[in-house]
Amino acid sequence: MLGDAEKAEEVFEATLREAAQRAATGEAPADRCWLFREARGRCLEVSERGLQAEDVDHAQDELSAAAPDQIRRLDVAQLAIWISGAPEPQRTALALFYLGEFCRADILKIAELKTHELADLLSLARGQFQAWLDASFPLERTS
Amino acid sequence: MKTARLSRRQQLLIACAPVNEQPIADRNMRAAVFRARDSEEFKIQQSFDRAVVDLVQTVPVPSAVAEWLSSEKAIEQPKWTWKRAAKNPAVVAVGIAVLVIAAVFAIQFAEHLHDFPGSAHARKLLSVARSPRSVLLDPVRTEAGALSDLFFMKHNLEHYEVPPEFADFQTLGCRVFDDEEAGRVAQIWVVEKHMQFFLFPAERDTKTGIAPDFSNWRFVEQEGWTGAVQQRHGVCFMAAVRGDATQLAPYLNKLHSH
Repeated sequence: MLGDAEKAEEVFEATLREAAQRAATGEAPADRCWLFREARGRCLEVSERGLQAEDVDHAQDELSAAAPDQIRRLDVAQLAIWISGAPEPQRTALALFYLGEFCRADILKIAELKTHELADLLSLARGQFQAWLDASFPLERTS
Repeated sequence: MKTARLSRRQQLLIACAPVNEQPIADRNMRAAVFRARDSEEFKIQQSFDRAVVDLVQTVPVPSAVAEWLSSEKAIEQPKWTWKRAAKNPAVVAVGIAVLVIAAVFAIQFAEHLHDFPGSAHARKLLSVARSPRSVLLDPVRTEAGALSDLFFMKHNLEHYEVPPEFADFQTLGCRVFDDEEAGRVAQIWVVEKHMQFFLFPAERDTKTGIAPDFSNWRFVEQEGWTGAVQQRHGVCFMAAVRGDATQLAPYLNKLHSH
């Protein structure tokens, strides 16, 4: 979400602190997604204070069967920067989806999206990511 | 994705299809994945997503954070509770249907709780009693108990006798008519409370052909009228009055109080 481990840790701790305080005062949130909504809100606040990504129309490519090999050549920091540079709510959708821990209903709830919006954001991101992969790690063409 | 095989809704779901190996709890998602599973495009999308997820899994987690997340799932799936189940629209619909069916059965059971052989005929004759249609009657002014001889002599109706509780009531008139269901019916009008008496054949058991008598009073109600019925010698007597059973109670207890 933030592309910065230090900031992410601060948000994580602040979120847990808030949850602990609420629990101590008997105001523990009933919403089981509360922790993640709170963390997302804090991430958005933090990212608004930092540098803003330029609004650029990224190219899109069709997904390639070779994409897994391209992705394996990536450094995880590159992926983190790519996702954290995505505009909201695409960034939240990608972060939650690729964590692999949330079902669709939870993602929709936390990111405040509808199914068709989530589907469009993910499809768009895949195409853009594939284009970026193709530009960064061109496939070897066999002639 | 072969769009011809997938609906628009399923295409949207496929775009959000999970890549983990756990069973998919969402039925719609499960159906969409099942239909798309052989599609080349879906396989490529899944391998693409899985590669990204695998890469994300390599993100180093700070030790302080790892302690918090070491043993717990990121998000606990909602537990099954009666409260949640009660909010399920399907459960609500089934519940309402069961309640309606139960209510219908309960009403029918309550209506027929005090039924007895001949109660259907008695109810029908209560409708006759409340009918405003004018009928031709013999103006006979005597005591009701004296009419049994008239019924026997004139109409050959044996045991058409008015019980002692109502035998000394002054009559206004009477008639005998054929009813499709009840058979030969004797109807008597009396002065007291504009009551009407009915005498009609008891309903016989279809298997045994027997109509067991009962000397206690049994009640039927129909559209604001009440009838007290007693059966002797295979003939039912019904005293019918406008109102409820309390209108008849003083007469029925008369013999016992004497």
